[in-house]
Amino acid sequence: MFVDKSMNKKVITVSRDTGVLEAGEKMKEHRIRHLPVVEEDGKLIGIVTDRDVRSAMPSIFVDSCDIEEEKKKLGQLSVENIMTKDPVTISPLHTLQDALLLIQEKRVGAFPVVDEDGKLMGIISVRDLLRAFTNVLGIGEPGMLLGVLVEDKVGQLEKIVNAITEEKISFGSVLVSRHWEEGKRAVFPYLLTNTVAPIKKKLEKLGFEMLNPMEWYLDQLPKNE
Amino acid sequence: MKKTGFLHDDRYLLHDTGPYHPECPRRLEAIYEGIEAGGLLPGLTLIKASRARQRWIEAIHDIKYIMRLDEACLYGMTEFDYPDNQMCSETFDTAMLAAGGILDTVKLVMEGEIDNAFCSVRPPGHHAEVDKAMGFCYFNNIAIAARYLQEEWEIGRVGIIDFDVHHGNGTQHIFENDPTVFYYSIHEHPSFAFPGTGREFETGAGQGDGFTLNSPVLPGQGDAEYKKLIEGDLVPAFDKFAPEFILVSVGFDAHIDDDMSGVSLSTEGYSWVMEKIVEMADKYSRGKLVSILEGGYCLERLPELARNHVEILLGE
Repeated sequence: MFVDKSMNKKVITVSRDTGVLEAGEKMKEHRIRHLPVVEEDGKLIGIVTDRDVRSAMPSIFVDSCDIEEEKKKLGQLSVENIMTKDPVTISPLHTLQDALLLIQEKRVGAFPVVDEDGKLMGIISVRDLLRAFTNVLGIGEPGMLLGVLVEDKVGQLEKIVNAITEEKISFGSVLVSRHWEEGKRAVFPYLLTNTVAPIKKKLEKLGFEMLNPMEWYLDQLPKNE
Repeated sequence: MKKTGFLHDDRYLLHDTGPYHPECPRRLEAIYEGIEAGGLLPGLTLIKASRARQRWIEAIHDIKYIMRLDEACLYGMTEFDYPDNQMCSETFDTAMLAAGGILDTVKLVMEGEIDNAFCSVRPPGHHAEVDKAMGFCYFNNIAIAARYLQEEWEIGRVGIIDFDVHHGNGTQHIFENDPTVFYYSIHEHPSFAFPGTGREFETGAGQGDGFTLNSPVLPGQGDAEYKKLIEGDLVPAFDKFAPEFILVSVGFDAHIDDDMSGVSLSTEGYSWVMEKIVEMADKYSRGKLVSILEGGYCLERLPELARNHVEILLGE
């Protein structure tokens, strides 16, 4: 669960004197939105986003002769003029959880990953994080989601896991929602099987309440009086 | 009244999935009994299975996969790729007979001997991928039939309708780049049901973009939602595509009494869906339609559902 494993290591970068237009083209070509700006020795000095580039562009509502004029000016403008200096970075040994919390706090779309000397090692974006968590959820594999409502006390999860393991069914993942309703938790095992009816019966026999997500959904709908 | 074929073979019972498996031989007996009790057998063209030529299996599946399955049977393995796929030493031969029987049936339709047919086969096929068994399925029967129609009978556009309650991931993946085979599936929403694919935004890829269409149904939505989606999604799509032959993946597991799913389709709902499909076949493919069994596990309901299904094919 380290950033190192999920980050993109083949980073497209620019240098401080790269033209703004060229940076824009580069992002378009590689379908990316963040370009780390590095020195020759690989040290990170800033980051430029597609929004930085677009904000630097003349408005399309300016009439055309002016645009040519503006473009000429832009041609002389370099990345250094528009980049964010000293951007928020993350180390390859940070965990994905760190990255997730930091992305929420800083409200950015990607972090450059740098080593102790400030050298760029990679970049990790919201998309990379989503991919990592999709993996963790196991939903790339065929299976079915169960919902089980349990009392908020020790040992409940063990019972559920044991009951399922006895049926020789593998887990894609198990999620726990701690705040489902007062005093209860909801457990969502994602099971790599097509056959969950016997498991449901077994869990009900053990005294667990199966969650019916549709009931919840229908309760939310506006009622026709 | 149409000339309808019925593929049934006792050798389909030889694929043994162990004592507790929902995909059990008894399913086909229940289907046969329902059709027999309905007094429909004398009016049907009964078809026995023959073994598929391997070239047709290879038209869809990786040769290494075919050999791997054959070997697993020779070694007497009881499980293949996933624990869901329980098997026995007869599984490979039964799967060859299932595909072979379907190809014979398709041939009879193309030769004009029959108008349409229902193939009551095991093991089912629509989850099977090119190189992987999944969800009780080993060879993708319907995909093999579609390729056979195209290569042997020069059918240009094949329309596949899959109303098993689970999404036919295998069929979709096999044809997702192919604009000559339209794959439509209506199934329980993938966040609630196996195998977790078949979302609305899966619409095909590359040249095949726009030739895959999925209608996920949320749990408990039943007949009304099926009618809405079939009329709103499938009918306009097939109006545009105009298939020359319609293949149907039949799953009786969306039924309200089937504990494999939660969409709550009724017996009448099933009849409505099938009537609509036969109507489309009359309109686009001069009635040419072959339906192939996938899932359906409620042994008490299978007889009536199968009987209604065949009655609608006959057009009585």
